[in-house]
Amino acid sequence: MKYQSQSIARLYFIAAIALFIGQILFGVTMGLQYVWGDFLFPAIPFNVARMVHTNLLIVWLLFGFMGAAYYLIPEESERELFAPWLAKLMFWIFLVAGALTILGYLLVPYATLAEMTMDDLLPTMGREFLEQPTITKIGIVIVALAFLFNIGMTILTGRKTVINLVLLTGLTGLAVFFLFAFYVPDNLVLDKYFWWFVVHLWVEGVWELIMASMLAYVLIKVTGVDREVIEKWLYIIIAMALISGLVGTGHHFFWIGTPDYWQWLGSIFSALEPIPFFMMTLFAFNVVNKRRRNHPNKAAVLWALGTAVMAFLGAGVWGFLHTLAPVNFYTHGTQITAAHGHMAFYGAYVMVNLTVISYAMPIIRGKQANNERAQVIEMWSFWLMTVSMVFITLFLTGAGILQVYLQRYSEAPLPFIVVQEKLALFYWLREFAGLVFLVGLILYVYSFFAKGKEVEIVEDLDMKKAVTS
Amino acid sequence: MKQAQHTNEQLKNASNVALASLLNLTLLPVISFIYLLFIYKNTKPGQIDHYHAKLGIKLNLVAFAALFLVSALMILLGGFNSPWTWVYVISYFTIVHTIFIVIAVWALVRAWSGDKLTKN
Amino acid sequence: MRETFTKGMARNIYYGGGVFFFLVLIGLTVDTVTTIPKTDNRDNLTEQVAAGKRLWEKNDCIGCHTLLGEGAYFAPELGNVYTRFGKSTDAIKGFIKSRPKNGIPGRRSMPQFNFTDEQLEELAQFLKYVDGIKTARNWPPNVQG
Repeated sequence: MKYQSQSIARLYFIAAIALFIGQILFGVTMGLQYVWGDFLFPAIPFNVARMVHTNLLIVWLLFGFMGAAYYLIPEESERELFAPWLAKLMFWIFLVAGALTILGYLLVPYATLAEMTMDDLLPTMGREFLEQPTITKIGIVIVALAFLFNIGMTILTGRKTVINLVLLTGLTGLAVFFLFAFYVPDNLVLDKYFWWFVVHLWVEGVWELIMASMLAYVLIKVTGVDREVIEKWLYIIIAMALISGLVGTGHHFFWIGTPDYWQWLGSIFSALEPIPFFMMTLFAFNVVNKRRRNHPNKAAVLWALGTAVMAFLGAGVWGFLHTLAPVNFYTHGTQITAAHGHMAFYGAYVMVNLTVISYAMPIIRGKQANNERAQVIEMWSFWLMTVSMVFITLFLTGAGILQVYLQRYSEAPLPFIVVQEKLALFYWLREFAGLVFLVGLILYVYSFFAKGKEVEIVEDLDMKKAVTS
Repeated sequence: MKQAQHTNEQLKNASNVALASLLNLTLLPVISFIYLLFIYKNTKPGQIDHYHAKLGIKLNLVAFAALFLVSALMILLGGFNSPWTWVYVISYFTIVHTIFIVIAVWALVRAWSGDKLTKN
Repeated sequence: MRETFTKGMARNIYYGGGVFFFLVLIGLTVDTVTTIPKTDNRDNLTEQVAAGKRLWEKNDCIGCHTLLGEGAYFAPELGNVYTRFGKSTDAIKGFIKSRPKNGIPGRRSMPQFNFTDEQLEELAQFLKYVDGIKTARNWPPNVQG
């Protein structure tokens, strides 16, 4: 670690992993509710569990992104963080606000939470993924602004690289598009249309910039490949992400009362959306193949390759599967969507965060890489989580296909609830895969504490020739 | 790690056939395969371009069998009008197709660096 | 091939493509917003409907149901529930009102929200309004949602 202030990332990473555990615990709870309908009812109804599951995901990914930024931006900018105290302060504000919000979901009925937080003054609650009380949303904006100010000043007064500028662009976009969360018109069509300006333009827009720059950073570090080469790939990947993804928003405008031309535009442009993810796979494979060093942190390299492949599979392939309007006519809002959502979030954003954590955490703790045993355990957790996520996706896809057939495609469509009962086998299998994922996650956490033979230090890891070509 | 030196022509051919193999699995099926066969004819055994052309042909033939023949068999055995047939065919086709694409991507980056698929 | 494609060119595609397609999205958004009065059923968007939408949000209905296909996939689609319930707001109100407090043993259960009659009417009117939104190809594919 070159700069002292990089160690602030540790706080963010620990919080991210803690919330990740919470997310998965609620995930397996909901999975059970799918087959054991009144499990925990009425104490924790499904909608509450789901809100906790998705909100914890979003919050921990944001912690991960911020941690990654605090780690890599000082190093890229070749200076200490502009205001380390601000980063620490914002960490605690964000953590407390997040924890209070989650507790609010769990301890009182949602409508009561809305009353308590005076939602009527500026109603923004009760929309999918944006369920946070308005006051929490305002808190998120304040934290995001302070964060952007901090990293922005660090970059502006330091070295500007493609990686830190792209990351800054992505994070700024994240903050800007979040502002649409405050626009909740009574007109449902308008409401839905602009809701996607947060959700789609995050996960299929600016988050791809964040992901690509985080991946590029780790790949420079672990492969030693010429920065020029990596930056060229980075530009072309994010170019494709924006070219396909901006108008690709249209694949959400098929059935919500918006004009018919979105059927064409949404289908064509979103059909291109796998390209940036495909290129990430090509990019990661290529630079690892051309690596100039064998970095002692094998686990980090595995995560980097894994995120490239799984993002392509989950976001790219599984997205393409149901993105064309004639297909989406039947699949919209079924378990197919759930299948895609799970693998896309895991493959792209969970795994890229774990990639950076895997690379940075050992360095923050004062060594190049974890000891061999810890790495082996971490790699086991990689395979357990990744393979079980593939199975979760396959089971949900199976459930989705059957659901589409019985409820929408067949000559004599069956009611929703009748169909759901016929899908029980898939839901049980999914729940089992979810438990395997949880085991993988427990192993992952354990890998931070596992003792073993330390790896040999590779002397020339900071070799200048790798950086400047 | 580096293999014996290859001529630029061979490296170019190797990259092109590996790309053709990938395209045949994705955007341009059939046409890319014909192109692949065409280049294969002009390569000499023992060279890197010959190796990648042969690899691409094999990969695509196996992919064809695994994707279309197996799927056809599933439909034949399961029946066209059974939802369960489509549960299996769509899930199977999607995941196996992706696996072949990922292998072809790895073959492509190995061809770029003038290497065989695996270290010998 | 890759030697002739420089980083500068990649950067220009990123900036050029990003800005161009962002402007395209803005243009399409302007057109969409000016076109949707034809489809969005705004003539029936009364105060009562707006109050119903607020209730829909304050009780996080989207956490179980889909509405025009968006939301959670745990409970039925409600974008066409008015049609499914025989175009009867009374049927909708009756259903919401009759949910048992402790659920139905072993089955997915909807909470009992203890709505007042006025609130029930608002919610039912909201769902009726949503049913009137003209979606492309009359989505959902059939009455089951």
